[in-house]
Amino acid sequence: MAADLGAVLGAARAQSPRRAGGRRAARLPRPKLSRRGRTEARFFWLFISPWLVGFVGFLLGPMIASVYISLTEWDSFTPPVFVGLDNYVQALTGDPVFWKALWNTFFYAAVSVPLGLAVGLWLANLLNKKVRGRKFFRTMIYLPTLVPLVATAMVFKMVLAPSGPLNDLLGVLGIQGPDWLLDPLWVKPALVVLSAWGAGSATVLLLSAMNGIPREFYEAAEIDGAGPFRQFWSITFPQITPIIFFNLIMGLIGAFQIFSQVYILTQGGPDNASQMVVPLLFDQAFGFYHFGYASAVAWLLFVVIIGFTALAFRTSRRWVFYETEVR
Amino acid sequence: MAAATQAPPAAVAEPAVAPGRGATARTLKAFKASPATYAVLLIVSAVFFVPLILMVSIALASDQTSAQNAFTVIPTEFLWSNFSDVFTATGLPVGRFVLNSVIIATLSAVGQVLSSSLVGYAFARLRAPGKNVMFVVVLATMMIPAQITMIPQFLLFKELGWVNTYLPLIVPSFFSNAFNVFLVRQFVSRIPSEMDEAAQVDGLGYFGIYRRIVLPMMWPILTAIAIFTLTHAWGDFMGPLIYLNSEETMPLALGLQYMTSTSNAMQLPPWNLVMVGSIMLTLPMIVVYYLGQKYLYEMNVSVGSAGVK
Repeated sequence: MAADLGAVLGAARAQSPRRAGGRRAARLPRPKLSRRGRTEARFFWLFISPWLVGFVGFLLGPMIASVYISLTEWDSFTPPVFVGLDNYVQALTGDPVFWKALWNTFFYAAVSVPLGLAVGLWLANLLNKKVRGRKFFRTMIYLPTLVPLVATAMVFKMVLAPSGPLNDLLGVLGIQGPDWLLDPLWVKPALVVLSAWGAGSATVLLLSAMNGIPREFYEAAEIDGAGPFRQFWSITFPQITPIIFFNLIMGLIGAFQIFSQVYILTQGGPDNASQMVVPLLFDQAFGFYHFGYASAVAWLLFVVIIGFTALAFRTSRRWVFYETEVR
Repeated sequence: MAAATQAPPAAVAEPAVAPGRGATARTLKAFKASPATYAVLLIVSAVFFVPLILMVSIALASDQTSAQNAFTVIPTEFLWSNFSDVFTATGLPVGRFVLNSVIIATLSAVGQVLSSSLVGYAFARLRAPGKNVMFVVVLATMMIPAQITMIPQFLLFKELGWVNTYLPLIVPSFFSNAFNVFLVRQFVSRIPSEMDEAAQVDGLGYFGIYRRIVLPMMWPILTAIAIFTLTHAWGDFMGPLIYLNSEETMPLALGLQYMTSTSNAMQLPPWNLVMVGSIMLTLPMIVVYYLGQKYLYEMNVSVGSAGVK
């Protein structure tokens, strides 16, 4: 899902000029459909019917059902009872765990996404230099992103153990590490550490974007006497803002939907300190059979995600730079 | 894993000659790598590699070491027998888990490839009133988070008696997904249409054009979709968690979690065998990625500038 939206963003942009130029000089202008046109149209609907059936059966239908279910109290064994907006009111005013989960999810998204981008940017900039063994370093940094989330969670249960390698490393630096997953204060940072391990995918995308920056820019900057730091902020960074923006949006959407790590590593604990919105929704639906309440939580999450995506888009006008706007 | 580090996979896109790295050109200041650069890269690579090493190290540790949490990052024991014990010593049908994963992932990929190639082709090539509206709907559906449809879908599949079968995880794939339709549509739009027009003049029907002309040219993007679906279905945790609750139907991703939670309360989970399972879950993904990376690159091109892991 996260990948989906991101692709649309990229595509909407990639597509617009082509659309303006008219695609494949249409074979015939068509005031009215000819017989052949009608056949073609029939085939079109026939060919897209798998998607159409899936859309109605697995998306549109369930969406409408979800709206209705969210307005009822329903355990799926007895008939649903219509309760109006009670579930929404309950989530927003009567359920302290919902707010805690929402806050935790905010925290996780607000820390893990910028951190992942910063690490990715930093590593990509290092790898963009004339480094020997570049492919080796890149592979090492990218490899963790290929590990399925469940396996990642299993390993990090060990890495983050009170006497695990992370605390050993901190011990070498003279720091007494916390109990990570067992400590209400440190359980969210622990999940952030886990997410930072996946910084390789942003690194590789940013690196390939950096590769595309014309060398002339740097030559000119060097003649003008700009140092490496200045060159990074005045050339590299502005040039790759579209990819940074893309990663930001994808990262935010993904972070708001965090589930498996929490479910496997902490079950929301200790003391709900790592409870997040989707695990909460999952527990309500499949643990307690509160399908109405869980559906309401799903719609609230949707509103939050849309809200943050819209916010990111609004601010993007100020800092995202598209080459095509200049030409 | 050793093979993967030797060979150079990883990049999504890599131009043949990267700027600032020309053979004759003097290295610009911005691209000079200092010893500090190497130091940082070495340390970061090592830190990123530690969890992977740890996975292997624990997988090779004995039951005692495992039970006492006495692992070391660098392996000191080499109990290769763990790799066969995992199938027998856990009391769980781990072989069956793997088979379930293979079945679910493969059939999902087949479903996506078949359906999205057909639908994507129609969106790219056939003309019909209402097509543009439909395409906007396709794009719009990508914005809907899965959580919204999750509960009604579950109730629907429960009603159909599909709970605890593979069907809820496989059948939706045969109805394509918006993202894959979009990828195919973008890809086919780039293929010149002279061939189909010639075929049409020669009397080939729309299905014939799809089957004989366009489909054979689509395989790079279809391979990418297959890899994408395969890796997604293979690693999926939430879907199996919702729908599958018997050991006979569970895939490995869920089975691993099951392995850590079924042992009785007095007993620690067999972490060494759990890590063997984690390796079994990870290794195929590295292999698939390594074999398929150039097709994933194709997918990136097809999507536009934006990348998809």
